[in-house]
Amino acid sequence: MYAGGDKSALAYERSACPMDYFAKLRAANTTKTEEFPGLVVLSNRSDVEGALRDWETFTSAFGGINGQDEPLIPLNVDPPEHVKYRRLLDPYFAPKKMASLQPAVDKHTNDLIDQFIDKGACDFSEDIAVPLPCSTFLSLFGLPLSEFDQFIKWKDYLLRAEAFTSSSEEADALRRQTAVDVCTLMATEAYARRAAPKDDLITYLVESEIDGRKLTDSEIVRTCMLFFTAGLDTVTVSLECIFAYLIAQPEARKMLAEEPGSEINLVEELLRSETPVQMVSREATHDLVLSNGESVKAGDKVMIAIASANLDPNGLEGADTIDVRRGDMRNFAFGGGPHRCLGSNLARMELRTVVRRWHDRIPEYSLAPGEKVIWNSSVLRGVDHLPLVWAK
Amino acid sequence: MKLRIDAELCEGHGRCWDLLPELVDADDHGHGFLIDPDASVPPELERKALEAVRACPERAITVE
Repeated sequence: MYAGGDKSALAYERSACPMDYFAKLRAANTTKTEEFPGLVVLSNRSDVEGALRDWETFTSAFGGINGQDEPLIPLNVDPPEHVKYRRLLDPYFAPKKMASLQPAVDKHTNDLIDQFIDKGACDFSEDIAVPLPCSTFLSLFGLPLSEFDQFIKWKDYLLRAEAFTSSSEEADALRRQTAVDVCTLMATEAYARRAAPKDDLITYLVESEIDGRKLTDSEIVRTCMLFFTAGLDTVTVSLECIFAYLIAQPEARKMLAEEPGSEINLVEELLRSETPVQMVSREATHDLVLSNGESVKAGDKVMIAIASANLDPNGLEGADTIDVRRGDMRNFAFGGGPHRCLGSNLARMELRTVVRRWHDRIPEYSLAPGEKVIWNSSVLRGVDHLPLVWAK
Repeated sequence: MKLRIDAELCEGHGRCWDLLPELVDADDHGHGFLIDPDASVPPELERKALEAVRACPERAITVE
């Protein structure tokens, strides 16, 4: 077993410096960790790459997540059903479609920056990283910006119920109640779109067919629910990872300020090296023996540490260093195989837009005096606060 | 030098059309395809072509 302190201390150690944490884990050549007792953690490049592709051995069809009993779509559905949903959804998140959403994201970004630029200070997490993906989500779903506060609250209840409750039973109850609230809203909106179609994702789902039939209400709600839980915090923590990196890197800031377009490779390299979504979950479908000789039993929960694989130089030279000008490093920041992140084109567009607009308008900035970057302990690696200052 | 994209392996990460838009485009599913599958890679694009090959998480784009 890989040891190094108690569970939560290990989680903070991982978040503070994934590169060192995962290098030690890979060197220990084990899938058993103190941070995730009872779970099988795959951490080397070849195991991760193999497991992401081998959906028959490492299934995603293990029920729902985040307070849901039913499988979310398409996350908790495996091929061949999965293929039908992806054929339907992929075009909606394809590059050209995302390009058409970009002006709205650009406007949201500028509107947010307008609110604090004259103050010479902001909390990057609260003032940009949290609200921006939420605004994007509302645009995508054809929902009014007045839903904003409600959505943020729901997202926090679903993804970090523990922070609002005093026992795991209460947290579970809060997650379940919130899931009911979100599903109710989505079902209500779907009903409304049938009568009055709009140019939005819910209308697209309501009007779509698979196998010659319309999607059921349950399918529509479980798809919307996945977008809700997958589309908000992932972009938030990605932005936090990128800006937490940049405050310590004057040359990278200078590059962004002076070279429009340089954000494309920078975002890609930081998605790889910081890997905001550190792990993805699977379940073993049968007994097997891993490359290191350890055995896995059918039904074992498996964590695929994509953050570790992304930093593993074994099989890709240079993966244990960071170079924001290169964009050619093979990585699994968006997972891989059939369950590769559906929203990757949306996420990349949002990240590039924020990094570009920010550096156009605030080219030089720093962490507020006396402040420290405090990473959370989640497998979604982010910070709750990132106080920044700049010359007014 | 010629490139090849294995549609069976492609999952739509989009690194190829991002890094090499001169030769690779994205279809409606975000999967990459060669604009001219029979064309050789022009010498001035060979370095970028190799970057796209190196970047593909599914190893779907290869040098033939």
